[in-house]
Amino acid sequence: MEFFTLVWRNSFRKKMRFWLTCISVMVAFFLFSTLSGVNHALTANVSDSNRYRLITSHKISLTQSLAINTQQKVAALAGVKLVSYASWFGGYFQNEKNQLAVTAVGHENYFELFPEYLIPKQQLAQWKKTRTGIVIGQALADKYGWKIGDQVPLSSSIWMNKSGSFNWSFTVAAIYKSKKKSADNNKVFFQHAYFDQGRAYAKNSVSWLSTEIKAQANVDSVIRSIDQLFAHTNSPTRTTTEQVFIKEQAQQFVDMAMVINLVVIAVFFTLLLIVCNTMIQTIRERNNESAMMKALGFSSISLIQSIYFESLLLLGLGAGIGSLTAGMLINFIGQRFNDFLPGISLTQSHYVTVFVLVNIAAVFCSAFPAFAIKRIVISETLGGKS
Amino acid sequence: MKNNNDITLKDINKSYQKGDNTVVVHDHFNLTINSGEFVALMGPSGLGKSTLLHLMGGLDQPTSGEVAIGTQRIDNLKEAQLTKWRAENIGFVFQSHHLLPVLSAQGNVELPLVLTPLNKKERQEHASYALKLVGMSDRSKHYPKELSGGQEQRVAIARAIVSDPNILLCDEPTGNLDRKTANEILELLAQLNRDFGKTIVMVTHDNKAAEYATRVINLESYMVEQNKCVAGAS
Repeated sequence: MEFFTLVWRNSFRKKMRFWLTCISVMVAFFLFSTLSGVNHALTANVSDSNRYRLITSHKISLTQSLAINTQQKVAALAGVKLVSYASWFGGYFQNEKNQLAVTAVGHENYFELFPEYLIPKQQLAQWKKTRTGIVIGQALADKYGWKIGDQVPLSSSIWMNKSGSFNWSFTVAAIYKSKKKSADNNKVFFQHAYFDQGRAYAKNSVSWLSTEIKAQANVDSVIRSIDQLFAHTNSPTRTTTEQVFIKEQAQQFVDMAMVINLVVIAVFFTLLLIVCNTMIQTIRERNNESAMMKALGFSSISLIQSIYFESLLLLGLGAGIGSLTAGMLINFIGQRFNDFLPGISLTQSHYVTVFVLVNIAAVFCSAFPAFAIKRIVISETLGGKS
Repeated sequence: MKNNNDITLKDINKSYQKGDNTVVVHDHFNLTINSGEFVALMGPSGLGKSTLLHLMGGLDQPTSGEVAIGTQRIDNLKEAQLTKWRAENIGFVFQSHHLLPVLSAQGNVELPLVLTPLNKKERQEHASYALKLVGMSDRSKHYPKELSGGQEQRVAIARAIVSDPNILLCDEPTGNLDRKTANEILELLAQLNRDFGKTIVMVTHDNKAAEYATRVINLESYMVEQNKCVAGAS
């Protein structure tokens, strides 16, 4: 008989109660882990973003255009290394259910700003020479079976071409892969020159500028100088780092981090109450046994340790099963629905967080029983005064 | 010369609060139990028999006065020191056995040995020997719910003696048992006193049980005697 044998046997003394509590812990950590995976997918792009890259758009909104010559003016500012531009196409393939992230970009230098897109040199050179060429992600190529040289018709929900149609014709010129697993491999890029030449209206305008600043330049002062340059024009600008820009875009839909935090706080608080109540009940039921063990020479500390390990076992088992189940679900989603949530995954740091939370919860849940154990008066518990 | 395991209660005062009232249980109480005695403490309920037992075992502290086992005073020990002292010196047997239902008879008897430096094998050997002494070897793998009341009490006695304490404190150990089983338990206690020299203090209401003791103290008359002595002295 070992100390941990006693902990183990005591834990499973009331099997039904143990498993019901364990399931509640499991559900809580399943929810927490799943939401963390989704949050990781949404924020992966943010943390992957180069902090030396800036996005400049119209001050009012991204739907307002900037003049294409804005690029040259920004390029002339101190601290700026490279400037390119892009416009949102709003594309889909065959029908609107197959939405695609299609962007018209300055073909001269856009991919110099975004080295995370790995494009074979030959293909990139070919794309620059092909006016109707598109660069597509590997995942997209795999999904639709598109190969280099394939003619691909894409439609825009925003931009009509000169022939009065929303259908545009493209040729697959290059296929990119990403440096990072979490990156989106479903994007489509094509030449802004083709876009400008083909569209029926809003020529010589762009949706936003992408600017890379020099390594030694001060980010804030470059941001200020760009916005000051256009402050008194018809198109005042708003410049942010790429990280902030993507985060703001994501937050337009939902502030996932905040939702997760609120859910975690609510779930964790409820969980603590449930487990705490279980442990208090456990100790109350074992009052006589605890007193007997004290009489035998067990210190309050060793009895409290025993309760701590029981809490840890209960919480650890629930959290382990919950997190691993969520991990499997997220893995499944990652494989099957990568288009929808690229980068969905659970990181090692998440499992570390779960481990820390379990330990904190175990300490908290042992605290109240610890007071009860400390207060046990052996003589009063085991025998009346006679 | 004073024996190392004599139990000495000197000028003990013990009172406790019950609502607004202070209940005095013992007032300048003195008692010495010699090492190797089997003492039966008898008397009506409410006289403080169990309280005396708890004081001797370090489960309770006197309001004032001295409690000593041999030369070791225990009334002024801190909780942690008392806990350690109890583990090494005292075995308890209560009316309710308080065996852990999740452990077998063997596991329950091994429980106090978890606190000792003995390894697993040694603990098992000690527990097996204790169970053999109380005649429960063949029930070592049984759980408390599979044992009768008498068998449970035998296991509780094995648990009390497994760490080889010098003193056994028994609070109505046969209170829940039928006559035949009670006699078996009492014979076992007498044997532990006779053959192994254990000092046993047993609180009981049962005159038959008291017959197994080497000294019977009727607390009511003992206290009257003491008061006379105190009055005579003053």
